[in-house]
Amino acid sequence: MTPWLNLSTCKAVLAACACVSGCALLQPPRTAADAPLRPGEIISAAHAKDTVVIGKSTKAEVRAALGEAVVVDFDSGYEVWVYREKPSDKDKKEKKAASPRTELVLLFEPSGILAKTRIR
Amino acid sequence: MPTPFIKMVTVTIFLGTAWAQANSRGNPEADAVAITALPNPVAKSYRRMVAGMDLFERRRHLAPAASLRFKLLPRNRNTDMKDVELEINGDSFAAAVAVAPDHTFTLERNGIGLKENAAVTPNRKAGTMTWRAEIRTPGLPPNTRRLGDLRLECEVGMEARLISNYRPLLFGLLDPLLREGPAYCHRAEPRYLFFADRPLFGVTLVDGARREVVPVDRLYAGASRDREWKEDLRYCDCEVLMDRAYFMPLGDPSWPNDTLVEFEYM
Repeated sequence: MTPWLNLSTCKAVLAACACVSGCALLQPPRTAADAPLRPGEIISAAHAKDTVVIGKSTKAEVRAALGEAVVVDFDSGYEVWVYREKPSDKDKKEKKAASPRTELVLLFEPSGILAKTRIR
Repeated sequence: MPTPFIKMVTVTIFLGTAWAQANSRGNPEADAVAITALPNPVAKSYRRMVAGMDLFERRRHLAPAASLRFKLLPRNRNTDMKDVELEINGDSFAAAVAVAPDHTFTLERNGIGLKENAAVTPNRKAGTMTWRAEIRTPGLPPNTRRLGDLRLECEVGMEARLISNYRPLLFGLLDPLLREGPAYCHRAEPRYLFFADRPLFGVTLVDGARREVVPVDRLYAGASRDREWKEDLRYCDCEVLMDRAYFMPLGDPSWPNDTLVEFEYM
């Protein structure tokens, strides 16, 4: 018998497997809240709105505070930035994912300053 | 492979041209238009536009106080909308059509034009302009439209095949939609594009005490759903009107025809 197949080695391997499996079983299931935010996602539209200031916040400041947005930019120089709330586990269970999520819409002037906000 | 933007927006946009082509395959001379001025102008079938006028009369209970006009809109950045001239061109005649400063116009019924399958022809080339019906109830509050007016605009636009676009790849995929015609406007969320008078920030539906802000996905031709929307923009007749474009829940019966559509502009 080769050394790596002897009885003590087998016991050690089985014990390690049992430990790993046990840890996996004890681990709580991953929730939507655990998943990282995707571009354009925020946890709370209301909270995000409170972090920006109309007439003052710049695009760079908003990006730093809220992350990358879904951007619709126009020839006029205006830009609309869209953030949507990340769906919760409850939303997913209730199959709300297909319905419009709460959204924060920001309008930037051509100067790059925040001009308007809207939560829906 | 069409992106979601194409699937969502321009499917509707293509309907007019696609439908006309599909129809002409079955009956090649049915909607053929005679072009006498510019080569390749942005012309429409007079018969189809009169059919839209007929539909307006049949369905005017949607907008009982409104009248029907047609409207020319710019299709690309280089379109010069000043001094647009319009003619009805048949085999034996040409009749000028007066275009108002806001680029709207009406058509008179002309039996010879119908018989000769005339074309409504502006002095602009294909790809430079698009067309819509314009149905406005007078006396509405500023910065509003009426949902019944928009419902009827969609139906007339579909019947008259006003929408202009130029991507032949999807024609084969559109047949189920093409057969719908004005009935397409009865869908809960048809992708028929309307254009506001100015760039939009928000749109709200108002029926008495009920107010509902329209999701941003229904503005800007749905661009916020697709990060690659610019790649397909040239195929949309909203190309230079993106910031004014919006969809409406035309087929949602919970919103009556008197629902006001409030605009918040940029």
